[in-house]
Amino acid sequence: MNLNLQPKHTVLPGFTPALGFTIFYLSLIVLIPLSAAFLKTSLLTWDAFWATVTAPRVMASYRLSFGAAFIGAAINAVFGLLVAWVLVRYKFPGKRIIDALVDLPFALPTAVAGIALTAVYAPNGWLGSILEPHGIKVAFTPLGVVVALTFIGLPFVVRTVQPVLEDLEAEAEEAAVSLGANRWQTFTKIIFPAIAPALLTGFSLAFARAIGEYGSVIFIAGNMPMISEITPLLIITKLEQYDYAGATAIAVVMLVISFVLLLIINGLQWWNAKRNGSIK
Amino acid sequence: MSTKSYQNKIANSRAIAEPVWIRWLLIGGALAYLGLFLFVPLAAVFTEALRKGFETYLSAFSEPDALSAIQLTFIAALVSVPLNLVFGVSAAWAIAKFNFRGKSILITLIDLPFAVSPVIAGLIYVLIFGLQGWFGHWLSDHDIKIIFALPGIVLATIFVTFPFVARELIPLMQAQGKDEEEAAIVLGASAWQMFYRVTLPNIKWGLLYGVILSNARAMGEFGAVSVVSGHVRGLTNTLPLHVEILYNEYNYVAAFACASLLAFLALVTLALKTLVEWKTAQAQQPELSQEST
Amino acid sequence: MMSIHINNVRKNFGNFSALNDISLEIPPGELVALLGPSGCGKTTLLRIIAGLESPDSGSISFNGEDATQRHVKERQVGFVFQHYALFRHMTVFENVAFGLRVRPKATRPSDAEIDRRVHELLDLVQLDWLGDRFPPQLSGGQRQRIALARALAVEPKVLLLDEPFGALDAKVRKELRRWLRRLHDELHITSVFVTHDQEEALEVADRVVVMDKGKIEQIGTPGDVYDNPATPFVYQFLGNVNLFHSRVHAGFARIGELEVGVPGHADTQDTPALAYIRPHDIDIQRQGNKDTLKVKVSDIHAIGPIVRLELEQGDSSEIIEAELTRERFGELNLVRGEEVFIRPRKLRVFLQ
Repeated sequence: MNLNLQPKHTVLPGFTPALGFTIFYLSLIVLIPLSAAFLKTSLLTWDAFWATVTAPRVMASYRLSFGAAFIGAAINAVFGLLVAWVLVRYKFPGKRIIDALVDLPFALPTAVAGIALTAVYAPNGWLGSILEPHGIKVAFTPLGVVVALTFIGLPFVVRTVQPVLEDLEAEAEEAAVSLGANRWQTFTKIIFPAIAPALLTGFSLAFARAIGEYGSVIFIAGNMPMISEITPLLIITKLEQYDYAGATAIAVVMLVISFVLLLIINGLQWWNAKRNGSIK
Repeated sequence: MSTKSYQNKIANSRAIAEPVWIRWLLIGGALAYLGLFLFVPLAAVFTEALRKGFETYLSAFSEPDALSAIQLTFIAALVSVPLNLVFGVSAAWAIAKFNFRGKSILITLIDLPFAVSPVIAGLIYVLIFGLQGWFGHWLSDHDIKIIFALPGIVLATIFVTFPFVARELIPLMQAQGKDEEEAAIVLGASAWQMFYRVTLPNIKWGLLYGVILSNARAMGEFGAVSVVSGHVRGLTNTLPLHVEILYNEYNYVAAFACASLLAFLALVTLALKTLVEWKTAQAQQPELSQEST
Repeated sequence: MMSIHINNVRKNFGNFSALNDISLEIPPGELVALLGPSGCGKTTLLRIIAGLESPDSGSISFNGEDATQRHVKERQVGFVFQHYALFRHMTVFENVAFGLRVRPKATRPSDAEIDRRVHELLDLVQLDWLGDRFPPQLSGGQRQRIALARALAVEPKVLLLDEPFGALDAKVRKELRRWLRRLHDELHITSVFVTHDQEEALEVADRVVVMDKGKIEQIGTPGDVYDNPATPFVYQFLGNVNLFHSRVHAGFARIGELEVGVPGHADTQDTPALAYIRPHDIDIQRQGNKDTLKVKVSDIHAIGPIVRLELEQGDSSEIIEAELTRERFGELNLVRGEEVFIRPRKLRVFLQ
């Protein structure tokens, strides 16, 4: 990190204390504790580390965590776009309340979401009892994990696509129509390219959030090893067995993946901003 | 505002409007999706909580364990939110009003906790302060408990709510520029007078917005707190952890009763958030209409 | 009243040299315009005078006292920002009162006194009736005047204005220009304003400082800089000008067939030069002689009191602009396409 503590001359006060406190607090709360995970893992030999993070049960948990997170994010990309579209373009009763409620997964504690989803999708629940006769089991199966991860990722796509849709110029669409495009062509050739970066950003945010999610999943997943056990739960299981090294090794794998995703998301957001002309 | 003007434009433009039946098909699809994943589960919380009547519902809160869980939840939020508030303001001040090298790295690092699984957020503090951790021996020798105690819960809560205020303030303060602050200094204001009389009134809604969001997250955090709490009933259980314990004991009504309290809190958060958004939009409104004169 | 001395000031932003060895003297009570294209360093210079930036080297002194290290608060300057920087959450009254209210207790006027002073200032800028409004509710011109009242409230010894009319539309601009001039004549406070609009600088200022690329090109009265530009840049920046390639030899400049006497270049031997002629310094004649140049009238714009002609010179594709009064135009009875002769009444050459 190369922080230059001398800003260009300015009369505004407080730069040094503000930046000093920021770096101090950031180091204390985030950077030093995170580095503890990496230091702890560096005590393992490479072989031991590799054996831990590629054990069959761990591999199965990656497949579930990443697979379900991906499917959940994909569902959110499709339906989040639909919700954003409907909220920006149409009028219908209750719109303002629905708009506000989209953020519920941000505000609702994950444990509450977890037991609520379980109650609804359990075989005797409101929706579970409808699906059960058709042979569809949601709660206590990998499908339940997908449902939980869809829930917690729901606002991301809506909230990234919505402002871009709002800023689209109606003139561009009118121009397309006046040049002979039909509605579908206008959407695929004019609107979709404009919102694609935002959509991809929203997808990545939802995906990143879902990979690490714990609270909403554990109630509905059933948590059977090799089948419906997510990676964060595996970390906790190892912790409870006092296997600190094992837990940390898996955590490091997840951290590295998360950081890479964060970089990708930053890049996407930059692209998105550039597309919309807010970067000079 | 922009939504409205845009809608009017769309509504007025016959060329680019969808046929009515497609509109309603799309609205129906969106509502079905939101219903399946949002509204039905939300309704389920309150229905399950009231399944055995209102009195059973209320009795869930009179339990001492529940009361101490509520208390602990408030303490954790009460400590972590103000700390992150101070951090958010100073980070935003340095980043938005000054130029220095490494600024974009700093912004990325501030975002880091968003990308970290809550379980890992708890784990890293266990690695440092836990019995087998860096300071484990020293702490136990001096009889200081961090993990499986209040300080650990507070630390984990601070971590997961770390970026909220800063994230809200940085773009806001960048957009406002530094002209007003410079004007205050030229007119003779001291640093404190400038901050209190000029900066703070300009960022108060953004500040409140950040506080509301981080408070909601602080009170509802489950994964990170779960790792560091040790689940000691009546001592280190926050409300979300209490919900889990009740649920695992098949005490569904009590679990959903406590959950309904948290859900209610979430709804209040959303209402406040909408109100703040509305206020900020209002604050900007006259300025927008001004540009045209 | 305060005089300002700027001595050998330099300022770089990275590799970009914003100010390159600037020295300037501003006598007390004068209204001075810093004029130049964007990026010429004029705003940086203004901010250095205010103390909002500090120079890399050089010094600023007020009334002969070195003020380079003095904090902006102690410089007793009033600064009007380009976009006004009014405090958007305060009423107009509170905006103007701000500088008085933030004073330490010992020197802070009483509330009644503040009230009196603010109303006096609002009267001065003729906006007393707006005291309860908030800045976003004001028009651009009103905000500008409030910003000025706020700057004056602290009784500055120097008034600095950054593009004071830049964000206003043409009509309001003209009004405010005259109003600022009258206000300065009343208050006689040493004032510096930055502008990229030559008309603004020439009309309002006592003296104009023309800047380009971090250097001062010329300092002088508006008449001075307009009639006797010191450099080709000033010639081109102030008003329209026709440019001719010429050769100067033994006191004469040769442009095509035309020869014009250029006193002061008697010793110059066959040197390429650029000749500058203002459109209104071109005389149109029906008859040619050795002092004229044959041209073709390619276009005529006869709107308003001045008639503008576009003229083509032989095979060259460059267009010469000429301006003449409506009367003279009527006398000549020109039509598009005909051939006439031009004679420069006045020209200036710069050797290359």
